[in-house]
Amino acid sequence: MSRRMSALALALYPLAFRRRYGEEMRQLLLQAPPSASGVADLLRGALAAHLRPPPALADVLTPAERLRASASGVLACWVVFAVAGLGFYKTTEDRPFSAAGRSHALLGGAHLTVQILALIGSAAVLVGAAPLVAAALARARREPGLRRMASAVLAALATFALFTALLVVQARHQHADHASNLAHSVFVLWVLSGLVCGAVCVVAARRTLFAIAVSRIWLIFAQACGAVATAVMAAVALASGAYAIALIADASGLAAAANGPFGTISTAASLAVQAVVMVLAATLASIATLRGARAACQLVAAQPS
Amino acid sequence: MRSISERSTDPGLLVLTSLADGPKHGYAITADVEQLAGVRLGPGTLYGALSRLEGKGLIQALPAEDRRHPYRLTDAGGVALAEQLRALQRVSRSGLERLRLAGALG
Repeated sequence: MSRRMSALALALYPLAFRRRYGEEMRQLLLQAPPSASGVADLLRGALAAHLRPPPALADVLTPAERLRASASGVLACWVVFAVAGLGFYKTTEDRPFSAAGRSHALLGGAHLTVQILALIGSAAVLVGAAPLVAAALARARREPGLRRMASAVLAALATFALFTALLVVQARHQHADHASNLAHSVFVLWVLSGLVCGAVCVVAARRTLFAIAVSRIWLIFAQACGAVATAVMAAVALASGAYAIALIADASGLAAAANGPFGTISTAASLAVQAVVMVLAATLASIATLRGARAACQLVAAQPS
Repeated sequence: MRSISERSTDPGLLVLTSLADGPKHGYAITADVEQLAGVRLGPGTLYGALSRLEGKGLIQALPAEDRRHPYRLTDAGGVALAEQLRALQRVSRSGLERLRLAGALG
C-alpha cells in the first residue's frame, strides 16, 4: 500500500523535479519503503517543490515544456474551479435567490457578474485548447496510445453529459418544495461523474500535450487564453465572496437555510467553502500563469520570428 | 527515534555533514544521518535538501551508479559546513557554560 502511495506521491512532484531526481527517488523508495509518515513527507516535499522550485532545476525543462506544464496546470485549476462554480450555481439557482437578487443591488450584481465571467472564462479555455485538441486528434489517427486517451476523454465527457441530462429530467419532474432520495442520489452521482470526468480530462490533456508537436504560436496562444481564464477565476472568486457577504447581510434567512443534497450545512457555509476552493484554484492558476509567461518570453527571445 | 519533522536539526546541515567524509547516494545519506544524529530524513525532505544544496553550489552530483547519483561536497560546501559547525560549537559551548554556572549540570 505504502509503495503504491509513494509512487502516487512521486507523480505529484513537478516534472522538472521528477526528471532530475525521480529515478533516484524511486530507487531509494524501493530500497527503503516509506512508512505513512514517509509518504506524508513526500507529499509535503511535492507541495514545496511546486511552490518554491529549486534553482538547480531552472534549466531542466525547455521553455516550450514549461509552457506545456503551465497550460496543463491552468486547466487543472480551471477544472477544480469549475466544480466549485457548479456548486455555487446549484446553491443559488432556486427562486428565493433570484428574488433576493432583484431586491438587493449588490446581491443581484455579484450573481450576474459571476455568470458573465464564467461564460468568458469557459470561452477562453475552449478557444485556447481548440488548436491543441485539433493537433492531438490529428496525431491520434496515427497513434493507438493517443487514440485510447482520446476515447477515454470522450467516454468521460459522455458519462458526465448523461448524468447532467438525468439531473435536468429529474429536476423537471420533482415537486417544487420537496426533493426525494432519488433526487439526492442523482445529484451525488452527477457530482462524482463530474469529478471523474475532470480528472480524466486533466490527466489526458497533460500526457497528450507532452506527447505531440505543437507550434510555438499555438502554445503562446494557449498561454494567453490561460491568462484570461486565470484573471476570470480571480474575479469570480472575488464576486462569489462578495455574494456570500451580501447574502449574510441582506438575506440572513436564506444564508442560514440548510443547503446541499442532505442539508448538513447552511447556505452561507456552502458559499464560504466554494469561495475558499475558488481562491485556492485561482492562486495556483496565477502561479502557473506567471511561470508560463516567463517561459513564453524566453521562447520568443530564443527564437525570434 | 525523533522525526525530522520536529525540526530540531536542519536537513541541509545534516546532509552536508554526512558528505563531509566522502560522496554518498540518497540511501547512504539517510542511513548515515540516522546513525549520526538519530533523526530519519524523509525522502521528500532529503531530496528537497539535496536540490537546494545543489542549487547553491554546496554539493555536486557525480555520474550515476545503478541509476543513483552519488553527491559530493564542493569546496564552497566544505567552507559553508565548517562555518555552520563553528557557529553551532560556539552556541553549544556557551549554553553548556551557562548551565554549569546555574548548577543545572549534575
